[in-house]
Amino acid sequence: MKRKQTDSGDERPVSTPKRQRTAAFNGSTNGHEDTETPVGASPSKRIKSTPQKPSTATPAALKESGLKTPTQKSKAKALFSTPTKSTAVSTPSRARNADRSAKKKSARLLLEQNDDEEDWDGADRLAEEILQDENDTTAAENVNGVVETVEGEDEANKTAQTPKRRAGRPKGAKNKRSPTPEGELPAHERYFFQNRAGPPRTSNNTLNKISLLTHEEYFEKMAQYADPCKDEKAFLLDVHHRSFPQWNFEFEQGYNICLYGYGSKRPLLQNFAEWLYQKNSSAPPSIVVVNGHTPNISIRSIFATIVTAVLGADIPSKMGSQPIEVLELLQSVLKSRSSQRPITVLINSIDAPPLRRAANQALLARLAATPKIHLLVTADTPNYLLMWDISLREQFNFVFHDCTTFAPFDTEFDVVEEVHNLLGRKGRRVGGKEGVEFVLKSLPENARNLYRLLLTEIISMFDEGHNSDDEMDGGAGRDGDGKDEVGIEFRALYQKATEEFIASSEMMFRTLLKEFHDHQMITSRLDPSGMEILGVPLPRDEMEGVLEDLVLS
Amino acid sequence: MDLDTETQGVAKDGSNTQGVYIYRPVTSAKAHGERPSKRRKVQPEIKEQKSESHPFVPLLDGEENESSVELRYNAYRLLWSTQETKIQEILDDVDSEVLENVLSFVRSTSHLTYDGCIPTALITVGSNVSSLGRLLSKLNDQLAASEEGGVVILESGDAPNLKATLKNIIRAAVTNTEGNNGYQNFLTDREGPRLLGYDLDLLGDYVKRKGIKKLVVAFRDSEAFDPNILTDLLSLLSSWLDRIPFTLLFGISTSVELFEGRLPRSSVALLRGRYFEIHGASNCVDRMYERLQADQNGRFWLGRNITGVLFEKSNDYFQTPEAFSRTVKYAYMTHFFANPLAMLLSEEISVNRQQGKVCEAIRNLPSFRRFCEHLLDDDSTEQVRSLLENDEFLFQQSLKYIEIGQQRMRSIFHVVKTVYLCLKSMDIRKKLTIPDLSIRALSGDLQDSTYMDDLLKGLKTLDSSKLKEVLAFMPQDLTDCPDFQEIKKDFEALVQTYQGTEPLRSEYDSHNSIVAATVVQQRVKLSKSKARLPQQNIEYTKVIDRVYALSEKYFVETLVIPQDLFLHEAFLLDMKNPLKEIFSPRPRFAIERALANPFDYLMSMSDRTEARISARQPATAILYQLYLESGALVNVYDLWQAFYAVFESEQGDACDERMTMTLFYRAVSELKALGMLKSSRKKVDHASKSAWIGL
Repeated sequence: MKRKQTDSGDERPVSTPKRQRTAAFNGSTNGHEDTETPVGASPSKRIKSTPQKPSTATPAALKESGLKTPTQKSKAKALFSTPTKSTAVSTPSRARNADRSAKKKSARLLLEQNDDEEDWDGADRLAEEILQDENDTTAAENVNGVVETVEGEDEANKTAQTPKRRAGRPKGAKNKRSPTPEGELPAHERYFFQNRAGPPRTSNNTLNKISLLTHEEYFEKMAQYADPCKDEKAFLLDVHHRSFPQWNFEFEQGYNICLYGYGSKRPLLQNFAEWLYQKNSSAPPSIVVVNGHTPNISIRSIFATIVTAVLGADIPSKMGSQPIEVLELLQSVLKSRSSQRPITVLINSIDAPPLRRAANQALLARLAATPKIHLLVTADTPNYLLMWDISLREQFNFVFHDCTTFAPFDTEFDVVEEVHNLLGRKGRRVGGKEGVEFVLKSLPENARNLYRLLLTEIISMFDEGHNSDDEMDGGAGRDGDGKDEVGIEFRALYQKATEEFIASSEMMFRTLLKEFHDHQMITSRLDPSGMEILGVPLPRDEMEGVLEDLVLS
Repeated sequence: MDLDTETQGVAKDGSNTQGVYIYRPVTSAKAHGERPSKRRKVQPEIKEQKSESHPFVPLLDGEENESSVELRYNAYRLLWSTQETKIQEILDDVDSEVLENVLSFVRSTSHLTYDGCIPTALITVGSNVSSLGRLLSKLNDQLAASEEGGVVILESGDAPNLKATLKNIIRAAVTNTEGNNGYQNFLTDREGPRLLGYDLDLLGDYVKRKGIKKLVVAFRDSEAFDPNILTDLLSLLSSWLDRIPFTLLFGISTSVELFEGRLPRSSVALLRGRYFEIHGASNCVDRMYERLQADQNGRFWLGRNITGVLFEKSNDYFQTPEAFSRTVKYAYMTHFFANPLAMLLSEEISVNRQQGKVCEAIRNLPSFRRFCEHLLDDDSTEQVRSLLENDEFLFQQSLKYIEIGQQRMRSIFHVVKTVYLCLKSMDIRKKLTIPDLSIRALSGDLQDSTYMDDLLKGLKTLDSSKLKEVLAFMPQDLTDCPDFQEIKKDFEALVQTYQGTEPLRSEYDSHNSIVAATVVQQRVKLSKSKARLPQQNIEYTKVIDRVYALSEKYFVETLVIPQDLFLHEAFLLDMKNPLKEIFSPRPRFAIERALANPFDYLMSMSDRTEARISARQPATAILYQLYLESGALVNVYDLWQAFYAVFESEQGDACDERMTMTLFYRAVSELKALGMLKSSRKKVDHASKSAWIGL
């Protein structure tokens, strides 16, 4: 705070609009911040400024009003309403109401600011604005005692803060506002706090600094991993095991069971199946297990398996191709066999993407409503209940049990693939260097030459120091997208390719590139000017390795 | 078919990649080729069912003996089956009227009576979604029984396109009477060219062959059908009307106007019919509750909290009567499954069934303790001593007190019923339900409630004809006592002698006071109005006073707090929790809690006090807590750094970065699967946050 104060000393903006505007322009982020402040007080202000250049006038007005101290009230007000008096006057009550509603929050923000000076930003300034406006309006409006006292403090703050505010941002200062609100906010407040408008306030670091895991490495490491909570998890599982008889009773009474909670419930289901088996070891029950995460699972195959479980060898030769036909077959078979023992169907992850569709859920609900079918399903996602409306819930007839297991979802999905998908790095799937080399071996000479050319160009661009790692740290990434992938412009590469007699026509050139595309060996994107930039989704050392092999072979 | 049976999921990996398979235990040494279903068929089934006859487990640390377990199970079966019949009766009764109407509509109408339009029944079900299913199945039974035809039930899922819809209609119509095989045979055993499954000729043929007079096509959730398909279907069905006697039936959850608005006029013009209404579920639910709780021979009751949960549910959102009854059933199940004292409710219980463990359990009850303290206050130390020391005596007493307790519970519900009927007949409270009163009575504050005030005040102002009515409502316990008999005799004598056309009124009656008021306006003294009461009215006032005093005394005596009764643990279930969690789960809360406070679930073996985030926690929980602190956009690299820092700070140099990264991967993938992280295109290597805790 002290630093900022000294900074500010000399460049106090005078009340001429021009000066302020430059101040606003000084920090581009600053300007941003100000345009993005429609939280509470803005409606009237925005209206005011529309006749003029919106982006510049608004910050000016804001700044101005931010300046004023109680003694300057009248003057401030005059300045405040200069641009278009009429609109400003016409909507004061609206603005005031908005102000009042935002007041409480503002007060809190201001208080927090005392603790953590780094945190202040546009929203804080706005908060002060709101409180200030409150001062401008009649004192009679200050019904809320609490707010008044806060304002008292705010008064004190202001004397200290006003100069700082004028300083704008110190040059090069990053927007360091923490996304974590101080103290314990209620859930909804936290949501709004973390969703404030404005540019993303995250750093520009990327994962290029670290090498991502491959499948092999992941599994290798996972095999070595010793879980610190092993005993606790085992205990938790044991607790769930103890409710097996209860589940059995619930089944018997005609309920179906749905297990939810964090963690894979697959081992638990496996154990339950085993328990059921052991319990009636002399006449084991028919248990059908469904793994919802299997990518191409179909409802029909589930029904067909159940039919097989019921009928054994004498399945009809033709079951019908529609799941509904198979289901009806099943229902009629179950109906006709009065001595049929119940079939237990265990569905892992009923909310997994392959089963999630409404049509599938409706079919499963019908299955659940079939007598002599005992259905136990597990659900992993937090909002799975949204899949079922009242009539489906009615058909499912579930009792729900919280079965948090903390077990990892190792079999349910491909961890590495999921993460890379999340990061938009599907390309890594090709298999890195080895994969690329393998593909190249099967391509014609021309293609290999083209890839060699591409690699050479890109590596030479690295060497030019165009984008070294050091720069990335210091350079505060004004070009966040550009630096992670060095690329060569399409035209330029084509030019070089024709020069080296690799491709004689653009058509041919494109055909070659397509082959690379298909194997995800190159990336292509459009740069801001609309040019196509080609890159290679490999880290530099691997590129060099590939190039070496290409040249040598 | 290729996916199934051939699994023999012996190897764990094998079963994991399998989409669906028939379970075989890993340890089973049996030959793989044998199918489980075959084995099952070979086994004689009846014998098996004997040996594992009931699913209850011994309680009291497993020391409960087999016979008590069986007692509990049988008691449950018996009790619930009687309750279930009651519920079924109510359901049948509720539906019967609509069923009757719909049935007569179906029978009486045809396209001939309706000028070539399709006879159509529109049934609004409102919140009572399940009732339509019941209605339709009963309708089908009736029509099938009289061999007039049948009902084809279509759901929106059955109608993805016109062909499939027709196919479904035809198949359902044929299988309804012929069975699945019959349908297959019907398709194949035809002369002439083979018809496709969606050809209505098939259905026409079937109708002709079976002589079907009515074929009802019911659209269960008519709102969910695609209007275009519906339009095509309607025009098609109407053109076949001369060969196939269709009657349509639409279940409507919204309103008839909306239903009509969705269809084009040309389609609406094809329909003609009547509109039926099924009444809301809440009335039915109230009746069920009354039947279950306030039964003459009730043995087991649901307490205040459970009643609260039950009605909170049906008030907060739609709940079908079936769902209600299932919830009640579950409450019964929990009691008999998990409470060893439930054996005392069995009808087969007798003194020689006594068991040491159960006696010990009784001695540990809070209500036993209170009971003993009470006895001590009365200086019956001897009795307390024998209760504590003599198992036999205790058991005997318990059985006796259970009987007494049950009697008192019955009385409470009698009072509830009386209060309800009286208030209803006096027309004091407009919105009054038995459950409301029951909740009050079960929590012991009915006596001090405004209901009681209203009732007693109302009692005073009754005229003689009303009083007669109200006296008839009085519970039997009260009417049996000599005081009441005497009052009744006096009252009857009074009415006998009284000749006037107006009923007798007491002095508290507003009729009399109105007289008094007008008198006051004419400046005549108030006392005169009372003097003007005829002698008989004064007599009547006396009767009223006696009735008032007696019933007040009776109510105070009867309306005890159920929790004060000895052994109420055995015949009163009043725990909110299993029920609420079982039927209204909060999965999101559970997951958020598991991740934010993992040690709520993972009971720590050692007594370490945990820091907020520590490397001892599961990786996903650590990541989740870091994630909670981030903004709407998350830089994955920074997240990784923070994650790594957690491990680094705790493990120091021993921290394996790649291992940590592996855990990080796992955690990220799980958050993604839980729908909490989504990939973002805003910035490179960023993910967007999509769930906020506690919302």
